[in-house]
Amino acid sequence: MKRMIWTSLGTLLALSCWGAAPAIAQTASCPIKIGAILPLTGSMGPVGKHIAESAQLAIDTINQGGGIKGCQVQFILRDDQGQPTVGVDAAKYLVEVERVAALSGSVSSGVTLPILTAVAVPSGVPLVSCCSTAATFTTMAAEGRTNGFFFRTLPTLKTQAYATAKVTAERGYKRIAIIYLNTDFGTGMVKDFTKATEKLGGKVVKAVAYNENQPSYRAEVNAAMAEKPDALFLVAFPQDGATMTREWISLGGTQNLVLNNALRSLDYIKLVGAKYLQSAFGMDNASVAGPTVDAFKVAFQKAYNTSPDGPGIYNQYDAIMAIGLAIALAPDLSGKSIRDAMRKFQTEGGTIVGTGPDAFREAIALIKAGKPIRYVGATGPLTFDANGDVSGPALIWTVKGEALAIDRQISLDDMAALFKSID
Amino acid sequence: MTLGIVSYLTFFAVVVTILGIATLGLNLQWGSTGLFNAGIVGFYGIGAYAQAILTAAPRPELLGNFGLPWIVGIVGAMVCSALMAALVGLVTLRLRGDYLAIATFGIATVLQVIALNWDGLTGGSLGMTSIPRPLASLFSDPFAYNVFYLGLTLAAAAIVYVGLERIIRSPWGRVLKAIREDETAAIALGKNAARFRFEAFVLGCTVTGLAGALYVSFIGFVGPFDFLPIITFQIWTMLIVGGSGNNRGALLCSLIVWALWTGSGTLISRIVPAAYQTQGGAIQSILIGLVLVLTLMFKPRGLIGEEPVVSRHAR
Amino acid sequence: MIGQAIADGVLTGAIIALGALGVSLCLQILRFANFAQAELLTFGAYAALTFTGFATAGVSIGPLSFGWQLLVAVALAGIATGAVAVAVDRLVFAHLRRRQAHDLTMVFASFGLALILRNLVLLLWGPDAHYYSQELQIAIEVLPGVRLMPDQVFVLGLALVLVLTLHVFLRFSRLGRAMRAMAESPALARICGIGTEAMVRWAWVASGALAAAAGVFAGLTVQIRPEMGANLLLPILTAAILGGTGSLFGAVVGGLVVGLAENLSALVIPTSYISTVPFILLLLVLWVRPQGLFAPAGGR
Repeated sequence: MKRMIWTSLGTLLALSCWGAAPAIAQTASCPIKIGAILPLTGSMGPVGKHIAESAQLAIDTINQGGGIKGCQVQFILRDDQGQPTVGVDAAKYLVEVERVAALSGSVSSGVTLPILTAVAVPSGVPLVSCCSTAATFTTMAAEGRTNGFFFRTLPTLKTQAYATAKVTAERGYKRIAIIYLNTDFGTGMVKDFTKATEKLGGKVVKAVAYNENQPSYRAEVNAAMAEKPDALFLVAFPQDGATMTREWISLGGTQNLVLNNALRSLDYIKLVGAKYLQSAFGMDNASVAGPTVDAFKVAFQKAYNTSPDGPGIYNQYDAIMAIGLAIALAPDLSGKSIRDAMRKFQTEGGTIVGTGPDAFREAIALIKAGKPIRYVGATGPLTFDANGDVSGPALIWTVKGEALAIDRQISLDDMAALFKSID
Repeated sequence: MTLGIVSYLTFFAVVVTILGIATLGLNLQWGSTGLFNAGIVGFYGIGAYAQAILTAAPRPELLGNFGLPWIVGIVGAMVCSALMAALVGLVTLRLRGDYLAIATFGIATVLQVIALNWDGLTGGSLGMTSIPRPLASLFSDPFAYNVFYLGLTLAAAAIVYVGLERIIRSPWGRVLKAIREDETAAIALGKNAARFRFEAFVLGCTVTGLAGALYVSFIGFVGPFDFLPIITFQIWTMLIVGGSGNNRGALLCSLIVWALWTGSGTLISRIVPAAYQTQGGAIQSILIGLVLVLTLMFKPRGLIGEEPVVSRHAR
Repeated sequence: MIGQAIADGVLTGAIIALGALGVSLCLQILRFANFAQAELLTFGAYAALTFTGFATAGVSIGPLSFGWQLLVAVALAGIATGAVAVAVDRLVFAHLRRRQAHDLTMVFASFGLALILRNLVLLLWGPDAHYYSQELQIAIEVLPGVRLMPDQVFVLGLALVLVLTLHVFLRFSRLGRAMRAMAESPALARICGIGTEAMVRWAWVASGALAAAAGVFAGLTVQIRPEMGANLLLPILTAAILGGTGSLFGAVVGGLVVGLAENLSALVIPTSYISTVPFILLLLVLWVRPQGLFAPAGGR
């Protein structure tokens, strides 16, 4: 019996090391490895699935565009299952055993945070997140606790919250109820939105938090409805969001709905029914119009036969592309060099490079020639600030007929003015 | 490259040892006493949060974060888990066995809700970062520190192991087994079964709390999503496969089961096509569930099984 | 506000009650708390979804969002879920019974099975949310401040019919009486020539069918998701204990109490803490009246 145990133990250990074996055989640095940790199962699974597809598309773009430094890129995707422990273990494995050059992930700030503090910072590997919005990352970067290894490709919550508040006020909604997902994302959004709304003359009459994985959301909906608000601001992900919207409308709630960026998905509209969303509007910061954005849309549609309109999809593409360009720009594959190269593809006045394999090939050629470049990606021009954050224009979307429509854009200048008037 | 593997394995071994300690706590409850604790993750979480709240540096937005020394956190974590176990135990232990299972399952759910919602104490959904690691300033290299921490957790595991071995071989431990085997007979011999069960339950949860505290002071972070029910299943599998009632089996199978869990994760990420990756976690969970159920069915004594003789004098 | 909370509480309570009935049956006939009951509920909801997938939910009947096809699907899902429950019993629990395993080993096995079943559903049907009908219903104000959807009224009615049917079956049919005898005393029942294994099988069929109905109702009034059953597990177990483990009537009342308590508590505590309410009820009841509210005289 004992021998059996030791044999099985040995097999298991061999199994867990097996992953590393092919890597040992290669002496050169080809292929270059990029690791990603995303929630593929668990409550964020439906969101994470499409984000992972987008990451894969970016990797394909890079490889079809000739790869980086003469190497193909190998993409290693791990599932964090929405659990920090699993995410940290995966990150540790990717960094120590697979020796990835850079990491991307995760979605929930609660998972990204321990990956950053327990793996990325101590090991000196850049971490680019598509979706973690917590303000904590900015604070930590400002205090020097990230050593500059953290980047994210979506604007902080403030952009979303302020722009939403502005349009809410313009539409004349004075008394607003909020139902929000009880995560850093939801609570942060409510805080900024409330501040902005009060500055703009409105009032948040009730803010109801909801937890994921409840058997029913009736109580939350009732609590918000009791105040008889002019409008409902819903901060949710498509699945729970659809359930709550259905109950809200069924129970006779106002159809003046204000929606967050994650609900800008056809899934959500289909699940609720487009005819109830005709007077709703939402905010998003991804997908500014432009040829590079359109090229990405077409490529994604072609690859996966579905629309890329959904939370984090545009941002994840840019996260991987940013890593790819930074590796190409870095003199070597060390984490520090890649980190320092992260801001070298955002040169104002540099040759604009966009999305897709041809654009990537061109970017590599320009880098080889020592020419400055300006990456304009799936989310528009990408510019990391000192804390690794990006700022971006906002966009207001509505539902026209059965489809998503873009109502208008709030430009960077307008956003800056808005920030000034509220802060 | 080999250094990378060694470094990862060190990290891996620390996690295994910590889970092993939790399994030892559970073994006292199930293996020795026959108590079904379906909410291990709750007590593990209490230990983790208590450690964080007691030792993390003060922050204005948080009530806790007392910045106390590491060892105070460890003791405090064990005390907090023990108190919560006492509360649940007082209500349920005089009743039939499945009630304890349901109540412990409930407490794990409730604690997760509290961790998620009581922002002022727990940091809410974001959790708490920068939880101090003991003697971290002495090490500049993360690898060296992990080796040190592995030593620390191994020492803790050894203390728990030796302590529990002595306890179950003591007269007190023999009463526990007597109750498990035949409660009526034990009561007829004048043993207060409810009290013995209560003590075993609280002691087991204290050990689980210690494991939680060791975990957060290693990772340096605590958050509500670290304490999902799947951890309960994992720790149970470690115990059942190893053989309930056997502490060495519990420790060994912590290693086997965690290797199986992370190993299958790696394997799935390598061999399963991208389109089906999203189902990978489901396959892993089914694997854990199958191991549990199949062991119960075909190898109820586990791989190693319980040692038949517990008294030194009876040998 | 209170009126609406009561109406919603009764509705949630009805669904919980159906689940709790299954747990209670299992506690009586098989004498262990089945943690996998909630997963049968999920399975039932998805099975019905698959059946409606063949024929769509149908042209809606009157104000309801679905047609006769869904009713057929409920029946089929009930049969399918009952079959799954029996199969699980054959594969796992029967084996343990033959070995005369401890009651807690059964609880434990059900705990592991719950994990397997949930993830099988995830594997088979994927993680996305579904509805039986895309069409959204507008609630009708039945009393001032109380709005109900036609589907909900239907669900309440059908739940009531199911409970009454079960009652009549256990009370008057030969099989039902045999099952009750078995619940009272397995040894005596065996002496009287009642086939124990057959009774066990019927208990599984009944709790599977009840679970499927609860699952479809939960899916009809909320949403179909792989975690839907797991999220109802604590309320269901609480309801079963609350009612008294020997009493089917108690399980129904227990379900209603849990449903009402959850919805009424939303008026006084923050909604994010509602999921702790069943647990607090559970501790209270175990502390004050551990035999449950409606335990039969001389129960365990």
